[in-house]
Amino acid sequence: MKTFLTLTSFSPTQKLFSLSQESGRNAAKYFINTYPKYFQKDYAQPHIPCLMPETLEAQIEEASEAALIERIRMRKVKAAVDLYDQLLQAGTSVSLDVTNQLLDLICFCGDHDPAQENVPEQRNEETVGWSHHKTIGRLFLFFPFRENNNAERIFALLSEPNTHSYSALIRGMVKYGAYSKAFSTYTDLLNNRLKADVQTFNALIIAAPEVKEKYNEKWELIVDLLKQMAEQKVKPNLLTLNAVLKALRRCGTLGKSQAFPVISEMKALSIGLLSDHYLLLLLQERSATIQGQTDILQEVMNEVSGKSFTAQDPDDGICISLQVHELLGVGENWRLLGNDFQQNIYYARFFSLLCMMENIDVMLKWYRDLVPSVYYPSSNIMRDLLQALDTDNRLDLIPQIWKDIKQLGHANRQNLVEELLILMAREKHNQEVQESFAECALDIKKIYDTGDRGKVLLSWTAGSLSDLISVLLAAHRRQDAWEMLKLFKTHNRVPSEELLNRFLTCVKEAGEVNQAVELVQISAGFCLPETPKLIQRVQQEFELTEQKYINFVLWIAGSAFTVDEAESSPGSSHVVAAPSSNPPAAPFSSPPASAHFSSLCVSL
Amino acid sequence: MSKNMATSLVRQTKLLSIVSSQLNSAACFRNIHCTAACLKNRAARIRVGKGDKSVTYEQAYHPHHIGHRKGWLSQHTSNLQGEDGAAERVVEDVFIRRFMYGTFHGCLADEVVIKRRGNLLVICAVMIQKLLPSKFYFLIGYTVELLSHFYKCPVQIEMQTVEEKVVYKYL
Repeated sequence: MKTFLTLTSFSPTQKLFSLSQESGRNAAKYFINTYPKYFQKDYAQPHIPCLMPETLEAQIEEASEAALIERIRMRKVKAAVDLYDQLLQAGTSVSLDVTNQLLDLICFCGDHDPAQENVPEQRNEETVGWSHHKTIGRLFLFFPFRENNNAERIFALLSEPNTHSYSALIRGMVKYGAYSKAFSTYTDLLNNRLKADVQTFNALIIAAPEVKEKYNEKWELIVDLLKQMAEQKVKPNLLTLNAVLKALRRCGTLGKSQAFPVISEMKALSIGLLSDHYLLLLLQERSATIQGQTDILQEVMNEVSGKSFTAQDPDDGICISLQVHELLGVGENWRLLGNDFQQNIYYARFFSLLCMMENIDVMLKWYRDLVPSVYYPSSNIMRDLLQALDTDNRLDLIPQIWKDIKQLGHANRQNLVEELLILMAREKHNQEVQESFAECALDIKKIYDTGDRGKVLLSWTAGSLSDLISVLLAAHRRQDAWEMLKLFKTHNRVPSEELLNRFLTCVKEAGEVNQAVELVQISAGFCLPETPKLIQRVQQEFELTEQKYINFVLWIAGSAFTVDEAESSPGSSHVVAAPSSNPPAAPFSSPPASAHFSSLCVSL
Repeated sequence: MSKNMATSLVRQTKLLSIVSSQLNSAACFRNIHCTAACLKNRAARIRVGKGDKSVTYEQAYHPHHIGHRKGWLSQHTSNLQGEDGAAERVVEDVFIRRFMYGTFHGCLADEVVIKRRGNLLVICAVMIQKLLPSKFYFLIGYTVELLSHFYKCPVQIEMQTVEEKVVYKYL
């Protein structure tokens, strides 16, 4: 398992890193092979041939069979074909075996030199065989089978083509898309009264859907081929099963109904269900479209749980997915999880199912097991997890989840962070939980500030700011909340009424008069409609000294308070009535002052 | 007779020495090729200055602190009793250090540590986060491949990145 420099969310970045490492390796290989003289000194005992620069030149120069064999081994198609022609012209006969090998090579490489041998995902040895069809086939589909090409020419030159030659030619044709030609070659073969081998049949089965138009014709063709296989007493093998299933995928709905009988027949022939990539692909397809396949799949699962097999289908029920996971633990099955991409899908589905169905403890147990050692959940999965926590009232686990979110690199997802804030701010919890929430909130605040390279990661919304402030207030962190309030102005967002009310309550508990007054000023700065109510509250709940009170009222009078607001609110009358109802608060020493004051109020 | 010969011989050698000394002071004398003076009390020491020069832990401590406050930058067994190849290891280390310095230009936060375990060559480096991670991976792949082909042994790079060079003190 490769280790990486940074902990990133799965798939895209990790793939990027592997690919960039691979391209670095290719760059080094280019240098090594272009300037081999610097890498010739051999320190290693015993000799390590893979660390020497590649010698791509053929050693044997003269025209002989051995030279041809060598060129075939080195995959030099053009050189091999030229040498073959040379040999024929010179009159030396080339044995059938070697010719067959040459045909194999041409059909495999498609009549051109294999240029790209270092594709990242293929680090396996490419023998001149037909395995790894799936990965390699992707590359070579760009080169269509041309007319009068070397393969056919050499085939024609053969005096007695045997099964191997026919099979090589047919497989080459199928690989490169000349499907009808493949079938005509097959009829040739039958005319020559030769038997086709199992590989030929596999290729023909793959080619069958391409040749016919309608679904049932395709299926009939496949059945026909299978019957001929039985006549020629050729045993179908695993690849046959795979080929049939692959072809069935192209047959639409008919294929789906035929799939299971096929599988049961194959089982009757005791072909092991070992590498059932195609089976599970088929199953995925099925479960995507047809509901209620649970029973069939359960059947399959029961039969199969005895053997080493697994399938990916977490769509259908939590019990199955748990069973599947158990199977994964058995032996070699982890290999079947396929490459990273499929693993990702599997775990994503598994987790979403868990979040939906199971209670929180089971979910958390799986979460701790798998994350982050095996799987890096995406941000959607984290959302599901948060919702599950919410349903089960385990919101106190939020700070831990937040740490995980940061580590996985999802901290820059706006919706995830906002959801987190909403969940934290919604209800009141006990003291320690609130404390931890407050820490979390301050952490989140840091994320919102611009990073050191000046790029803004997240932008504040009114909702998120309010939530954050409420969390801080609930934990009695008034000072921090106060600073946050100033952010409203800088980021052009408007605070909500309940937020200001809550703030005022908090301020009142602390008894900070100045802050209360400032709060009202802020609210007036935003021209909020509830400003008069706030003013009323301040006057009622706070004990203002005489000087402060006068300043306050003067400020109200002189501030950019529209007459509408003053008139529309019932608060104005209260403002007038206030002095009389606050005798302990503001003992007015001089009646002239109070008269002056009331005239001021009236003029509002 | 012998005494006479002896004295004449002595006189001759004296003459020779006078002649040769005269010759030495003239243009023709044999040269020994040598480097510039490398004083052992100036090697690997950064001298105290105005206080604006930042210095890492490795640079701050002088060579006599190796084994006491510093570790070794290059670890192999060829300095043990009965083992050979020490000189070759040194040359390889010098090449590797220059190679790392050039390939990861400007990114090295501190000296490269080279460890040898059997056949395996482990290069441990601390880098500043000057490049994108994908570029780091490209260079790592390139270095590993090139050095393993060059030295015919498996090479592994263990890299750690820091935001800035870790300053120990200012001299």
